[in-house]
Amino acid sequence: MIAVSKTPLSTPFYVAKAIGAFDGTCVSVEFDQVVGGQRAFAKVISGEVDFGTSSDSVIAFQSLANKAFVSHAMFVQSDNDVKLITRPSAKINSSIDLKGKRIGVTKKTASEYFLSTLLALEGLTTEDVELIHFKPDELINGFINNEVDAFVPWEPFAFQSAQLLNDQIKIHNTKSLNILSFNLISQTADTLLVDKAKCIIQGLNIAIDYIVSNPAESKQIVINELELSAELIDWVWPDYIFKLALNQSLILSVKYQAIWAIETQMSEFDEIPQVEQFIDSRAMLQVNPSAVNIPQ
Amino acid sequence: MNGSLSQRIYLFTLSCCLLFTILLGSVIWSSQTVELAFSRDSYAQQLDNQLNTLKQLVVSDNIYANHYSVGNWLVLQRKLTSLLKSSPTLTPQQKTIQTSIKSQNDSLKHLFGQITKNKLKNASVAIKNHLKARLMTQLEALRSDSLQLSAIAHKDIHNTIKHEALFIISVSAASIVALLFGAFTFTNIVSKSLDEVKRAFKQNHSGHFQKIRLSHRSQEFDSIVKAFNTMNEKLSETTVSLEVMKKVVEERTHVLEHLSNTDPLTKVANRRALFERANMEYSRAVRSNNKLTLLLLDCDLFKNVNDEFGHLFGDELLIHICKICGQEIRDIDFLARYGGEEFIIVLPNCDIAGGVETANRIQQSLAQHCIAIEDKEVFVTLSIGVSTLTERHKSLDQLINDADKAMYQAKDNGRNCIEVLTPSNLH
Repeated sequence: MIAVSKTPLSTPFYVAKAIGAFDGTCVSVEFDQVVGGQRAFAKVISGEVDFGTSSDSVIAFQSLANKAFVSHAMFVQSDNDVKLITRPSAKINSSIDLKGKRIGVTKKTASEYFLSTLLALEGLTTEDVELIHFKPDELINGFINNEVDAFVPWEPFAFQSAQLLNDQIKIHNTKSLNILSFNLISQTADTLLVDKAKCIIQGLNIAIDYIVSNPAESKQIVINELELSAELIDWVWPDYIFKLALNQSLILSVKYQAIWAIETQMSEFDEIPQVEQFIDSRAMLQVNPSAVNIPQ
Repeated sequence: MNGSLSQRIYLFTLSCCLLFTILLGSVIWSSQTVELAFSRDSYAQQLDNQLNTLKQLVVSDNIYANHYSVGNWLVLQRKLTSLLKSSPTLTPQQKTIQTSIKSQNDSLKHLFGQITKNKLKNASVAIKNHLKARLMTQLEALRSDSLQLSAIAHKDIHNTIKHEALFIISVSAASIVALLFGAFTFTNIVSKSLDEVKRAFKQNHSGHFQKIRLSHRSQEFDSIVKAFNTMNEKLSETTVSLEVMKKVVEERTHVLEHLSNTDPLTKVANRRALFERANMEYSRAVRSNNKLTLLLLDCDLFKNVNDEFGHLFGDELLIHICKICGQEIRDIDFLARYGGEEFIIVLPNCDIAGGVETANRIQQSLAQHCIAIEDKEVFVTLSIGVSTLTERHKSLDQLINDADKAMYQAKDNGRNCIEVLTPSNLH
């Protein structure tokens, strides 16, 4: 059982299932579709599911809480998944204009982290704005109900907002400011779980090869699975890089996000975690050793 | 297949050329593939070096310092960007990473731009450090990708060399097998066909004009076989085999022999055959100390019969006498016409009494079976002289001579009687 976040970022999972990539491996896979990597993470920790998909930001926040989990592999990254959307009437042109504004975020996710870095670029902190927390799929309602002047959603909610509200919103160009990766996580793994992870990664490996060779078919699979429009997929697709990896950069990214969370008081914890303990490379080393680059 | 041998040779030669072209092509292609794999590796190494240099720059320089010049960074960044543009042809897996590298490089540029824009004059030290860390993370992500690119290239080189070696070995092995097979088949066809033709010639020599049936057809041998078979057909029509000839000669010889030994009128043995057989029996009797008796029969008053009834009746009478004699003698006995109306019967293993008895039977039979002419019965008699082999006889002629003498005694004694030449009768 895998808790799969309902986002096009989970494309490798949907494709793997659609093309039967898991059939040839050693596990039978069932999906539990959830909204957001944070919920997927919660289900993994509670033992409801064996595996989940979570962003590196979620991993950073949860590593601070020292939860018993590991990441087995990163399977996608996007440098434009989280976006800043504002009301044109609020006249927000740069980060500095966010000062004093009501901003909707999803707590302890890439959403909150991204906003904090945007603010910091202009010397601001979350103290300088009014943060209002929403679940990922409820951010837009907060905006429609005029509870916030700006919000920081991820896809597909940013696109849906653009479709729904059209010229009532302004989407800021923040491409490259934050790189978000999606990872396969589980509870701290024993040998059996590592074996299962290996099987899932094998399926993902096949799916990613398929996505690279057959992008049109892959897009259609995601459109059908998530009941999304083709426009949305075309909107997000150029930002996505599907590849299996387990890198030093993930460790650094998690580590610096954790440090940042401590320094900006986004987290109640204040001890910098040993990020390496949350990375389990055993499964990846069996499937795609060349994609593993972690100092031993 | 019924192609011509020359076609087969052309085909074989063409196949050889094709196989060697494939082999040559695969060697060239392999070397190019390996070269490409090496160029990918070299590209990944260059990327790694470039990224390391950028990383060192970020580590060693205080990018937030007032005097910091972005020139060095930009030079390196431009080099990195142009390096990314000059990538060799990559594998699909490498392309994914290349896309990732390009995208992350854009992020890197963007992030660096953000960081160095106004040196983040409003930002706190914490965000400065955090963003620098982000920059390092970004560089690290790029390095990880370049390392993965390199790892794939290494694996690719290894796999390429392995596959190409295997391919070349397979093509070589297939070529050798095909060449051997082709050569063997060709030699087999030629040698078998030659053998079959040679065998047919041998059979011709012994008079068996058989058609050649080739086990492997080929235009060249087919034409030879066709010509040979046509020739053989004609030969078999016009040539009598040696065996048939032998048989014919034997049959003819037999007939001739029979003719030369037979009296043409009475169809019993003639004088020549008589002497041949009588001499043989004489030699055998002398050698084995067996008995041998001769009867010399002369038709009484034969001249009168001829005169009265004509020569044709005389001939009929001689035939009749032979028939009677033939009926009364044993299988081993031998009847021959001695001359005119005289006959000799050779009786092997028969003593004087046996000879007299046979002579009696003949006379009685002749008396009982007269011959008729124009409903008138004509009776003839025989005077018979008997002689038997004794130590006194030195030759067959003496034995015949004795029988002749005895026959004349019978004539003298009033004809139609049997006389034996006894020592008392000797002069």
